[in-house]
Formats: sequence, C-alpha cells, structure tokens
Amino acid sequence: MKRFSCILLSLLLGLLVSADPDYKELLNLQPLNPASLLASFNFWSNASLQSYEQQHFKYIPRSLGQILQHAKTRELHLRFTTGRWDDESWGARPWGGTKEGGTGVELWAWVEADSDAGSFARWVTLNNALSGLFCASLNFIDSTRTTRPRMTFDPASSVTDASSESLFLLHGTLPREVVCTENLTPFLKLLPCKGKAGIASLLDGHKLFDASWQSMAIDVRLVCPEDRSECSIEMEQTVDMVLDVDRSKRPRDNPIPRPIPSENLQCDQSKPYAGNEACYPSDANLGQSWTVAEIFGRPIQGSCLAGDPHSQLRDSVCINIPHEREVNAYGDVVETKNAAGTSRCFAIPASKPFEIVLSHIGPQTFNDVSQPSLHASRSFTGHGQERGGVQTLLTNPSTTSSIEFVYFETLPWFMKPYLHTLSARLATSSTTSPDIIQETFYRPALDRRRGTQLELLVSVPADSTVILTYDFDKAILRYTEYPPDANRGFDVAPAVIRLLPPFGNESSNSQAPVYIRTSSLLLPLPTPDFSMPYNVIILTSTVMALAFGMIFNLLVRRFVGADEVEGWNLAALKAKARGRVTVLLDKLLGKGKEKKIQ
Amino acid sequence: MAFISPTILALRRDPRLLKLPPYLSALCIFIGVVWLCLLPLNEYSRHTYISENALLPGQVHTYFGGSEQNVFNAYKYEIQALVGKDQKAIYEKLSDIFESANLRPARQKYEYHAAGTTYSGENVYAILHAPRGDATEAIVLVAAWTNMDGDLNQSGVALALALARYFKRWSLWSKDIIILITGDSRAGPQAWVDAYHDEHTSFFVAPLPLKSGALQGVVVIDNALDHRFESLHIVYDGINGQLPNLDLFNTAVSIASGQLGIGVSLQRMWKHNDSYQERLQTMLRGMVSQGLGYSSGPHSSFIPYHVDAITLQAVGDGWQDEMAMGRCVESIFRSLNNLLEHFHQSFFFYLLMQADRFVSIGTYLPSAMLVAVNFTIMAIALWIRSGRPPAPKVASTMPEKEKTEMEIVQKDGMTAITPKENLTILERQLFLPVALVVSLHFLGVIPLYVFINSSRNTLPSCFLLFTFLNLILPTVLATSIRRHTPLTPQHHLLLQSISLLVLGMFLATLATLNFSLSLFIGLLSTPLTFTGNPFSSSVDAKDVFPSNARKYISTLVLQLLSPPVVVWAVCYIWGADLGETLAEAAFGWKVNGLWTQVVVWCVWWPAWMIGGVLVN
Repeated sequence: MKRFSCILLSLLLGLLVSADPDYKELLNLQPLNPASLLASFNFWSNASLQSYEQQHFKYIPRSLGQILQHAKTRELHLRFTTGRWDDESWGARPWGGTKEGGTGVELWAWVEADSDAGSFARWVTLNNALSGLFCASLNFIDSTRTTRPRMTFDPASSVTDASSESLFLLHGTLPREVVCTENLTPFLKLLPCKGKAGIASLLDGHKLFDASWQSMAIDVRLVCPEDRSECSIEMEQTVDMVLDVDRSKRPRDNPIPRPIPSENLQCDQSKPYAGNEACYPSDANLGQSWTVAEIFGRPIQGSCLAGDPHSQLRDSVCINIPHEREVNAYGDVVETKNAAGTSRCFAIPASKPFEIVLSHIGPQTFNDVSQPSLHASRSFTGHGQERGGVQTLLTNPSTTSSIEFVYFETLPWFMKPYLHTLSARLATSSTTSPDIIQETFYRPALDRRRGTQLELLVSVPADSTVILTYDFDKAILRYTEYPPDANRGFDVAPAVIRLLPPFGNESSNSQAPVYIRTSSLLLPLPTPDFSMPYNVIILTSTVMALAFGMIFNLLVRRFVGADEVEGWNLAALKAKARGRVTVLLDKLLGKGKEKKIQ
Repeated sequence: MAFISPTILALRRDPRLLKLPPYLSALCIFIGVVWLCLLPLNEYSRHTYISENALLPGQVHTYFGGSEQNVFNAYKYEIQALVGKDQKAIYEKLSDIFESANLRPARQKYEYHAAGTTYSGENVYAILHAPRGDATEAIVLVAAWTNMDGDLNQSGVALALALARYFKRWSLWSKDIIILITGDSRAGPQAWVDAYHDEHTSFFVAPLPLKSGALQGVVVIDNALDHRFESLHIVYDGINGQLPNLDLFNTAVSIASGQLGIGVSLQRMWKHNDSYQERLQTMLRGMVSQGLGYSSGPHSSFIPYHVDAITLQAVGDGWQDEMAMGRCVESIFRSLNNLLEHFHQSFFFYLLMQADRFVSIGTYLPSAMLVAVNFTIMAIALWIRSGRPPAPKVASTMPEKEKTEMEIVQKDGMTAITPKENLTILERQLFLPVALVVSLHFLGVIPLYVFINSSRNTLPSCFLLFTFLNLILPTVLATSIRRHTPLTPQHHLLLQSISLLVLGMFLATLATLNFSLSLFIGLLSTPLTFTGNPFSSSVDAKDVFPSNARKYISTLVLQLLSPPVVVWAVCYIWGADLGETLAEAAFGWKVNGLWTQVVVWCVWWPAWMIGGVLVN
C-alpha cells in the first residue's frame, strides 16, 4: 500500500510539473522552539500576458488587474506587516525576507512613464486606487514619503526589453499604519475561493491579528521565458504569521490567561522548599502539540476549486518537523515525506474538512532553525527635543566570511541628518574604519517636499559587529502639521537591508535575494501644548482690540487746547448765558418798545 | 491716564520714593512666605484628577493571584538563598528564572567612582516583546536588588520576576515591557538609563546588548519586608527636583487606594489625618526633597530623561500581601499600556500635600518669585542711589534757604529751566564691582571642585577647614582690597547692587526649574538685601557705611547664615553625618548629574561673600 502511494505520488508530482495549473496554494507550518508556530500561506496564480491585456481575468483578480493596467504598473509589491521578527529565537526569515515589509504598509512598484514627473503622477494614481481597494491609508504616500531607491530593489520581472528604460521604481512606506481586519478582508477577496475553502479558510482575523508577527504580501510581476515567446503575469499572495501556540490554544470564549489552579502547576520537586506553598515552575520545555483546529479555530474547509481536475495538485499543507515526531492527518489524505527527514506534505482532500494533529507523544524534537546571516538592530541615541542620533548595530555571525549588503533608509524631512557625522566603526575599536562603507548614495531632504534617502553599500567582516551612527537635528513643525495624538511621536520607517551574494560568487546572481528590515523608530519632536494656540489667539485678540480701540480713539477724536475751549469756562459760560438772556430780553423788550412807539 | 502720568513723573524725583525699596523688599519676602503657608488651605490647593483620559485607572480586573502566589514564594526562596553570593551566581539564577519564562536575559556591568568609593554592580534585565508591537515604545518594571536603605529587596525582586512570568501570558500589551533588576538603588538605574540613551561614559558603564523603543513609564517595586505590609509609600522626586507627570502619580494612587483598598502615603508621612499642619508638613518635606534634588529611589534617575517614574514602597505591618502589590502593579501597567501618547496631559510642576491634593505651578510660583524679586528691587534701588551725588550740606544755623542753581536746557528747539541738581550724573566706577562679582562667582568653582573630588575620609576635615576659612575670608578680602584701592561709598552701593541683581536673576530663573531650591536659597540670602545701609539715598559716606552696631549685627547674622554653617546646621538638625552628606553630594554630581551644589557654591556662596565684604 505504501509503495503504491509512493508511485501515485510520483505520478502526481509528474502531473504537477507537466500540467502547470494557473493557480496553486500552499500552507507551510513550521513549529519553532519553544512555543511558536510559523504558518506561511502562499497563493500563486498566473495568466498569460495576452489574456491579461485583453482584460480576460480568471485567477488574477479583475479589481487589482484593472488598477495596474490603468496606472501602467509593470510590477507591484505591497506589504502589510505588524510585529517584529525575533531572529534570535526564530532564526532566518521565511522566504529570505522577500515577502515581508517594514512595520505598517510598504509599497514599491515599477511604473511605465516618459519622465520622472509622469511616473510620479501614475504612482499617485496607483496609491489612491490601492488605498480604496485595501482600506489602507496608501493615499498618504505623498512626495515626502516616496523615494526612488537605486541599489536596494531589482525588478523581479525577467524582462529586459526596450520598454524597461522607461520603467521607474518608486517606493513608499507608512510606518504608522495599523494593519487590521479591514486590510485582511479585501486581501482574501482577491483569492479565487475568497477564504471560504482551501487553506485560506484558516485565515481568520481573530487568529491572524493575535499573531506575534504577521506579514501579508502581494506581488505582481511579469515573467517571460528566455525566448520571450509567451510572457505571463504572475501574482503571489503571501501571509506569514508566527503564532504563540499557548495563546492560540486558549478557547475563544475564555481568552483570559488566569493563573492555573495550583494543583496543575508543573513544579520542580527537587527544590528544598517544594510543596511548602512554593512552586519553582519547570514547564519551560514541554514541547508543543496542537491540532490545526486548535490553532486556527477551525479545520481546513476542503480544497479550493474542488471541482477542477487539478484540484488535488493545487493545494497542499506541509509541516516542517523531524520525521520522528508523530503527525496525524484525518481525512482522505496523501502524505509525502521529504528525503532529508525534515518535512512532510499532505494534499488536501477535495471537499471534506481536513485536520492535522501534532502529537505530544514521542520525542519533542524540532528542526534546527537556520541562523540569519546578519543581525540588525537600530535605535535612537541621546535625548531632548533638539537633536539626537541613530545607531545601528550590524552583526555578522559568520566566523568565516565577510558579508556585503545595501543599507537603505528613508527619513522624514523633519529629521535632518548630518552626513558628515555618518560613521561606521567596528564594535571592538573606537575609531572609524573607512573600508566599511564602500559606497554612499544620498539624496538630501527638502523641507515639506521630500524626505532623506540614504543608501549605503556596507561590508561587515566575519564575526564582528559594525556600529553605524549619525546625528540629526529635529525640525520644528507648523502647528497644523502635527498629526492627531502628536505627543506620541513620529514613526520613522524601518531600514531595509539587502544582502548581496558573497564576493566571488557572482554566478549565483540568480539566487533569491535576502532582505532584512529593522524595526521602526518613534521620534519625539518638540510638540506644542495644543491648548496654547487658543491661549495665543485669545491673548492676541485682546491686545489687538486694545490697540485698535486706542488708535481709533486717537484718530477720530478732535483735540482742542485747554485754553481754546471757551464753552467750558465758567465765567465765559456765565457771560454767554447772560448775553443770551440779554438778547432774549432785548428782543422781548425791544418788541414791546416798538409796539409802544408804534 | 493722562491725569495720572504727571503725578508719576513728579513722584519720580521724590526722595521718599528712594526710601521705599527696603520696605517693598521686606513686603515681598513676607508675602512670599505667607503665600507658601496659605497653599495647603482648601481654597488654594486642588483635588487631584486624572487628566489623560486614556489611562482609565482601575478599570480593569486584575488576575494576578492564585497559583502565582506559589511561584512568587519559590522565587523569594531562591532570592533569599542568594544572599551573600557573588554577582555571577545572582546573574545565573536570575537568567534561569527569565529563561524559564521564555524571556531572554541580558546583563550590564557598571562601575562608578565618587568620593573615593567605588560603586559597582550589575544590572540584569529582560525585554518582554509586545506580542504585536514593533519595539517603538516600552514600559519598565524595576526592582533594585537592594533598596535605598541597603536592605535586600527580597519581595520586590521576587514580585518583579513573578510578574514577568505572568505578563508573558497576556497578548494585550501594546508596548514592550522591560523587567530590570538593578544591582543597587542609585548607581544601577542610572547606569542602565544612561546606557539606554547612549549617554554613558563607556569606560565605566557597559553598553546595553538589548534595547527596545522609547520609554513611556517606569514603576519601581520596593518591598524589602518579609511580612505583610500596611500601606504603599509612593516616592516621586527625581534628580534636581524634577518630577514625573502628575497623571502617573494619580494613576498609582487611584489604583492603590480606589481599586485595591491599599492606603497610600507620601514623603514619609505615615500618619496623615488631613489637618493643616500635616498638609503643610508633607508639602515642606516634598520641597526639601525637591530642593536638595538628590536621588530618592531607583525611579529618580529616569526622570531627567523625560521618562516618568515612581517607586512603590511597601511599608508598615498590616494585612496586605505581596499579591495585592502585584495586582497594583498589574493594574498600573494595564493603564500605562493604554497610553497612546507620551505622558503630557497633566502637570510636571506641582507640590503634593496629600495623596489627593496638590498645588500647581501657577499657584505656588509667585512665592519663590516674590522672594527672588526682593533682590532685584533692592538692586535697582542701589543702582539709582549709586548715581546720585551727595545731598548738599544743609547749614544748620542759617534758616534762609539757599537758592537752587538752575540751568537752561535746550532741546529740539525747546527751552526749559531745570534745577542743576537733577542734571548732574555721577559717573559710576563699575570696573572694581563687576570684576569682584564675576571673579567671586568663578571662585565658587574651587569649593565645588574640592568637595566633589575629595575622598570620603578627608571630606569632613576639608569641610571643617573650609568653614573656618570662610569665617575670616570676607574680612581678609575686604582688607586686601582696601589696601590697594579704597572702597568708595559708590563702590559699596554698586557692589551690592550688581551682586543682588545677579542673585535675583539666578533665583528667578531657578524658580521655574527647581522652585524649592530657589525659595530656600532666596530665604537664606534675605539678609543680603538689608546689609550695608538699606536706607541710604545717595553716595553719601555717612549714609552708605552702616553704623558699628549695625555692622556687628549684620556680620553675626551673615556668619550664622553662611553656606557652610547652614550645611552644618542642617546635618545637625536631621542627625545626618556630615561626611556622609557630602559624599552623597559628590556621588550625586558624578553619577546622577546633581546640580544643587553648583547653585550653592556658584550662586549663593559668592553672593554671601560679597555681603560679607560689604559689612567689613
């Protein structure tokens, strides 16, 4: 029976190669010691360039395809990432770091255009359209957040025709963007099964956004064979997440990690005080055991595109764990183990729920995690509101070979670095070594128009740490330029590090590139007390009113010398009054006289 | 207006006006002191309130308890077993415990030298990564291995470790939580926070191997008791009198007393029944602590970095157990976790007189400002006097009035006749006074340097020597100056004017930074306003040089209020060892960046010295 299944499998694998379906999905589960699980979901679809250009969409979603066509985008990479990859315990990043972005949203694309300005216009169109599609603030990627990296990214499209000269690479990041369910829903809608069947049915917002680290990626690229006969458009959607097994296994109706009853505590009984209401916990290395339903909240709901003749080949679940571990799959499944003894794969049955159980019976062994070829950590130095510094520690763990990489940083315009303070030194020495930074590409910031772009070609000798530092000044913003919750600080996008293939190994250019991203930083800027503008308005209004009143008074009033005013002299007043009375009397008396005379 | 101004202009020349400043200065001082005493009244102080809505203190249910008690007990046994062990053993045990909670430990060695003593140790810490965070923000839970009194912080450290294990299970943290076990309560936290901001001197303090984001809040647990406690003592003073945001303090108070029913005390006022005296006493204790500006706990070192921090200290013998303290910390952390912005909403400048009553800077500042202004008023008055020629001799026998000499002034085509007396300007001989004031202010660096760099053993004798030197220094200085150039009455007036002007300016500036220090120095220097002859009206020798009786009284008062004598007196009253106090100050300068002694030696002492020279 076993032999039969093997034959069947090889047949199936042969079919897989020859049939080359236009849609595949793969779930890779990798238990990480001690209590984490890396789940990588990969959805791959393909369409010929001809059908794509004729707007004949099958697996490539129409909504995205039309946006790309409208914005003349040849290649697109969109990333939604949250959390931080802990490379000390989890090892190297999945996919060599190519399918993840910095914290928040990261987007880069190759756009066809005639000029820089034209490419930027299309880039804005693309951002606005994607912003609507993915419910993300991508429309906030303006000129200050857009850069044009020189060395960090290479097009994945294997096309070098004449039109490539009019291709422009643009890159933008939104480090503050919070990735959440509203981004997952449109992401799932792009899949043929919309997350209802196949491995995508495990992508539940509750679990995905409870992960310790998670990254959603969309890559669209043009692939042409050598002879350029039949180009095709390839789209890959990837979701990677690292789940905390203990946390995920908690039931949804009781997620609070209450203290466990004391009788269930695993205690170290060798301690002298053991039992005396004291328990030195010894539950650190109990290994891990789970079922897919426990971890993801539900089993896999059958295969996506079950009616399709190739459905058996389209989707499979792999689990990277030594063969001696007991893994049980329920349902009508075909199991394949790899020769190295480190992983096994299952084809998902067409329409039945599918469940895998990692048993707690047997040795609790794990595959060795591959160590990353570079550790990078970046932090701010100094304090205060005027200036600061950035320090990046780059450690090459390899004891034999040096490593070369491109260090790419984009800084917001209000963080003004001083390039003359940029220095790289070995952690063991206190002086700057000139041969660490081999090449520098620097594009200074323009206030309110564009940010700083810094690309460095750095080489770190074997088994050493390089400390890269530079100082910067903090600008003072206009008070309308502060975002809501201004006192939180401003997020600075993560640095992107692209590892170059080892020197003397140029032929291996074809090998997949490796990327590492540092964590983002929070930059505190001098922030006004926002009640201050109102106080200022009130104060200035009062001063203005007083000044206006006085000046108006001075302008309108007629000034008369004190001696010139007759009316207010008492004697004059009396005389005047007397004169008036006399005149009146005279008139009256005079008339009388006249009458008498007459 | 128009009717008032001629009156004022007429008053300008009135000799009575020049008699006014001493009374005005005295009034300023009097009002300043009375103002301070009024603050504890209900009408002038305010109830505390939570200003930052995001904090929502006490709105969450706390779950720390149950079997966590067993874990805590075990950790406490482990820590008690480490008494007397070396740093390596302590690190190994702590890292074991951190690793069993799936946290990666890191260590930092530090070594400081101050007053001939070496303060060295090791900080152990671990970073609990926010489950969904991106390392941009962090909150810190600190437990020092030994507390401020030098006792083993056994329950505090065990509680921090148990909380670390408990916090790890929650997924709701939005900020990283750093659990820091410092080697001691003063040097350790300083070394850690300096290294965290890369401001450390790398020769003595090691850099941090692990870092997280911007620190948003710090809570220190101090529980050296081996039994249940009665209440929580909240310590909040930072270095140089800087204070944490009032919201953090209020959150702790409202959680401890409101949510968990634990009594809260502050400034070592164990009994506080809300009477006027007790409020005043609490406030004054707070002011003394603020004025001295020394480190009052592990939290103090964080505050200069604009990181708000408080210490929760378990005190008394009551029925609250460590779990209650743990729940209090848990609830505070849940509140801090809610923060979207850095603490900024509430006051940074306040005086507390009770756990739920405070006065803000707007209310208390006039007090110190009035004391500072008294010097400025007097300085201005003395400046005016120094430019006035001596009043003409009035012949006592001749009753007939001498005719005032008049002069014709022509300006802008207008002509006026004014008394000649009003027009003569006495030229001010500024060089000597300015040179003396400036050089004395720089001379203040000498005692500052000596007391910072002497070793602990020589400090008391150094200080004794300095006190005696200081006793005769004004006389020596005055005679040596007189030997070269006779001090004219105008010199006297100018010297006092410039010295008081500088003092007033310094104190007014200081009042906005460290209110209490400014007020205390101001009050201690008030005699300087009234030395010399405060009632002189011109540069008349008879007016300016005080009578002998007055001279002796002034000298006595000044000698009693000289900076070294005040230091002796304060040490005597508080029963503190002088050497210890000075070593503390040297440590504060070298490690914490304490500026109090700079103010004493470079602001107060020069002003005092000039006062002393003037009465000689």
